[in-house]
Amino acid sequence: MQEICTFFENIPPLALDVLWLVAVLILVIAYITVCALLLVYLERKVAGFVQRRPGPYEVGPYGILQSACDAVKLVVKQIIKPAHVDPGLYFLAPILSFFPVLLLFLPLPFSRLLTGMNVNLGILLVLAFSGINVIAVLLAGVSSNNKFGLLGAARGVSQSVAYEIPLLLSTLAIAMMTGSLSFTEIVEGQGGWPWQWNIILQPVAFVIFIFSMFGETNRLPFDLPEGESELTGGFHTEYSGMGFGLFFLAEYANMVVVCSIATALFLGGYKGPFLDGPWWFLAKSWTLLFFMLWVRFTYPRIRFDQMLNLNWKWLLPLGVLNLLATAFAMKFFPVVANFFGFGGAA
Amino acid sequence: MTDTIMEYLAYAAYGVYLLIIIGGSAVAVLEKNLVRAFIGLIATLFGVAGMYLLLQSPFLAFMQLLIYIGAVAVLIFFAIMLADSRSDGDEAGLVFGKKFIRAALAGLLPILLLTPPIFVHPASTELLPDVVTVAEIGKGLMGEYVLAFELISIILLVAMAGGVFLAMDRRKK
Repeated sequence: MQEICTFFENIPPLALDVLWLVAVLILVIAYITVCALLLVYLERKVAGFVQRRPGPYEVGPYGILQSACDAVKLVVKQIIKPAHVDPGLYFLAPILSFFPVLLLFLPLPFSRLLTGMNVNLGILLVLAFSGINVIAVLLAGVSSNNKFGLLGAARGVSQSVAYEIPLLLSTLAIAMMTGSLSFTEIVEGQGGWPWQWNIILQPVAFVIFIFSMFGETNRLPFDLPEGESELTGGFHTEYSGMGFGLFFLAEYANMVVVCSIATALFLGGYKGPFLDGPWWFLAKSWTLLFFMLWVRFTYPRIRFDQMLNLNWKWLLPLGVLNLLATAFAMKFFPVVANFFGFGGAA
Repeated sequence: MTDTIMEYLAYAAYGVYLLIIIGGSAVAVLEKNLVRAFIGLIATLFGVAGMYLLLQSPFLAFMQLLIYIGAVAVLIFFAIMLADSRSDGDEAGLVFGKKFIRAALAGLLPILLLTPPIFVHPASTELLPDVVTVAEIGKGLMGEYVLAFELISIILLVAMAGGVFLAMDRRKK
């Protein structure tokens, strides 16, 4: 043990930083892969059980090797480039869609110590880099020289741009309440028991966040950019093999990211009634992920104008009102509390 | 030892960002295909965000990504997508003559406007830039610079009202 300690002390701090970053990136890629494999399997199994059929059961016991087979199929499949497309832009799109996702995992607080990069502006980092995904969707739709792709991309943009605003407003309410943009500090501001979580103080923000979460990740009932039954796949119609695989991975990784953010912001993160740690974080975020799958197979896809109306006419005003109410409460609650003599040090 | 390495790394990062900015803007200006030109523009915006990071202002860097790449660029792309953006269109070629001169004048205007104040009030050079936290930025905007802040918000409000008004007018016809 002593030797290991001295070994680490002899490495210059810069090299240690680089080593840490590499280790974190490898861990993140491993976690994304595991999540994607698990989610593909769960998605099919949940779909099966919701619709009263067994789901995959041929490959391995209970079909657990199904997603491994799918992965192998995707990797081995030939990558086809349609005629008359700009190859540079066409292949840039899936890469641009997947690689920023790696950065999104860095500030997530899996536990007090298990955080890739403890940045003060964690929320902003995630919001900033998640915008690149929209550009990837657009690029895919435009460069694949396909009408379905173009329509899917157009829908994807109006949807992402719209749902980003309520998402920002609901996160801002939490940031205003805790006075910090760092995930770790926000989690530290909450307690272990459910009634000490932010969801109790900010139920409206939580509901808005959940709606926007579906909108931002293009999941049913808001999966209009893909819409298989009307757009044959939407923006990724023309992609095959790993080109499609990267979009697929990015979608699942984005799902994991938004669920993790919801866990950290509203559900107490890694804190639990006993024994704080990453297991609580994983349990809460996977419960949310299961909820996303559950919703997908329960509700039908809504119409495009209905979705935009829901956003602009309900979620956005509600988010603004909630933010205003939070600001007023933050300003006046200490005053009122002091007046009646039960205020703390606030 | 570590400090010198960090300094070289900073120089290297500066060079890389500079290359991204210059290369990206060259692509944005010279490329005939609008979508490719747009990718050049995005690369430029990225490079500028990197420069903010080098200046120890991660908040500005993330805001640059969030607003310019996440919102402004996406809306520009939306317009490109709906317009006819083939690379062999009527307006795809390089522009010469009067238009070129006007564009050059417009490009020089910010330099003419910004150079005198910079020369009159040169920024003090420091080895390490000051770290300005988000809270300090907020206090500055609400305190010392509140007039500029409010003026900008009024401009934005007027622009937004104008946009809504134009769209309403179009819809009636």
